[in-house]
Amino acid sequence: MLEVKGLNKSFGGLHAIRDVDFSLPEGEIRGLIGPNGSGKSTFFNLLSGVYPVDSGTVEVNGKDLTNAEPHEVAGAGIARTFQLLRMFTEMTVLENVMIGYHNHVQYGPLAGVFGFGRVGREEKIIRREMMEVLAFIGLEDFADIPASELSIGQRRLLALGRAMAMKPRLLLLDEPAAGLSPVNVDHIMAIIVRMKEKFGLTVVIVEHILKVVMETCDRVSVLDHGVKIAEGLPQEVRDDEAVVEAYLGREMDDEEVKRAIHA
Amino acid sequence: MQNFISGIAGFFTRLKSIHPLLPWGIALVVLLPLPQFTVNNYQVYLINFICIMIILATGLNIVKGFAGQVTVGHVALYAIGAYTSAVLSTKFGMPFYVNLPVSILAAMIAGVLVGIPSFRLEGAYLALATLAFAQAVEVYIRVTNYLGAASGIGGIKAPEFFGYSLRKYDDYFYLVMPIMLAAVYASFAILRSATGRAFMAVREDPISAASMGINVRRYKLIAFVMSAFYAGLAGSLYAHMLPGYVHPNNFTVIEMVTVLLMVVLGGIGNIWGGVIGAIIVTIVADITREYYFYQLLLFGAVIVGTVLFMPKGIGGIIDRYFVNRRFIAAREETAEVKRGIVGGSPDESSG
Repeated sequence: MLEVKGLNKSFGGLHAIRDVDFSLPEGEIRGLIGPNGSGKSTFFNLLSGVYPVDSGTVEVNGKDLTNAEPHEVAGAGIARTFQLLRMFTEMTVLENVMIGYHNHVQYGPLAGVFGFGRVGREEKIIRREMMEVLAFIGLEDFADIPASELSIGQRRLLALGRAMAMKPRLLLLDEPAAGLSPVNVDHIMAIIVRMKEKFGLTVVIVEHILKVVMETCDRVSVLDHGVKIAEGLPQEVRDDEAVVEAYLGREMDDEEVKRAIHA
Repeated sequence: MQNFISGIAGFFTRLKSIHPLLPWGIALVVLLPLPQFTVNNYQVYLINFICIMIILATGLNIVKGFAGQVTVGHVALYAIGAYTSAVLSTKFGMPFYVNLPVSILAAMIAGVLVGIPSFRLEGAYLALATLAFAQAVEVYIRVTNYLGAASGIGGIKAPEFFGYSLRKYDDYFYLVMPIMLAAVYASFAILRSATGRAFMAVREDPISAASMGINVRRYKLIAFVMSAFYAGLAGSLYAHMLPGYVHPNNFTVIEMVTVLLMVVLGGIGNIWGGVIGAIIVTIVADITREYYFYQLLLFGAVIVGTVLFMPKGIGGIIDRYFVNRRFIAAREETAEVKRGIVGGSPDESSG
């Protein structure tokens, strides 16, 4: 499904992604974890075309998407969500989801003028289909409310809905449960799993909450300082020495600690 | 007042359900006898000029209001439309029905040029780049003898159809008013389709829009070229209107501020607001024409005041009356769709 080989990206002197290989079979839910600043979001931005890559290749279903424009990546069936949500706050919830459907709209940009009958009919179908998406994520009662009036939890759901409306095959979720209470975290994870099963998706989840990743994901990859330091089943990764070190830091000798404190 | 406005809204909704073009046909019929109610020729001229300004403001609303691109180059496109018509008419003796499409085409090509900086620039920087373009066009006209330089081009022939010349303002009204209605209708039709949604998505968050499959550059360019279409149309209609005279003073940054005021006062991204803004600003500008320099002070102050105290403009205030009604209608429609879904497969809608 997704093949990434030798990916590199630097911002000035900071080598944010270093020779990352990443291979994802179809139908898997992959967790991507790592401490703050380890390059998880950068990795997503490289995949989705927001940043150009320095070197390396990105391939999806045998199609080369290295340095493709974001809309081309979306057109290839890859949907992503953002850690900071990036809702269209002045548009309604329904309109937000309809934007996701944009690539599947049949009529042309100027068809509204002459083909009003056709556009009207298709808009009705789109509206119905998008209401089904909203029903799936449980926001159907908020369809005509501006997205700015939703709570954080509802916005996280809407982000999933927008991605779902794109009818993707690969879903890249950047911290889909950030800022949520434990109950809501479970709720949103359940929806992600249901979405994956219903549409036969392949999913990559970036997440800070380790418990969530361990419970939901089939396999887990770990990034630290832009390098992939581990990959495998959740159990294996949790017990991996390098991972523990990256997350908790090296245990210091007593003397070293003393010296640091008294310096 | 509230009942009155929402009553009108309900009436139009019912008309639209019969046929989408019906309200527009009725508007056309209602507006047709307008010149009969005027006291003198000057008022008819003013009405014609208002129609042209509505076209211009509607075009600016597409690129600025919907696509969110801050352009100051719109007046240059208007000038290009007007001067193309003027040159074709006076130097080549071309008739109106040739000049109009050629002027629109010229403005659209220029619209691409104005739009290209928007790929990289945003906000005030884009405004500066487009301002430079507007100034360049104005100065070029002022110093080029072929374009009449500082004395303008006169003697542009009035449009002629089947041997009948629209030389009177009353006659011209029957050309410019239907075109204005068609232009406003077209902007409604396009902006209420997926294209309008894409424009708004580009305005609100280009990165998010792109990652959802919208080709941001393409839609920015479509917005610029569409608005250029309107500007070229308005320019050509202006050039051919009596007295058939164009002058660089009609296409300065000051005119740009005036058009901007129409859009801002009417409500950015609100089509009816832009129309109302165009009517109000054109009339006020005409009344205060004697106090030319104070006029600018007034316009500038109104722009600042509107942005500070009425950010959604007049259209926003009217919308407040409409919204309740639209919300109720939308809720009903939503509920209906929901019933369909729940009835069809209950397991999908739970959770």
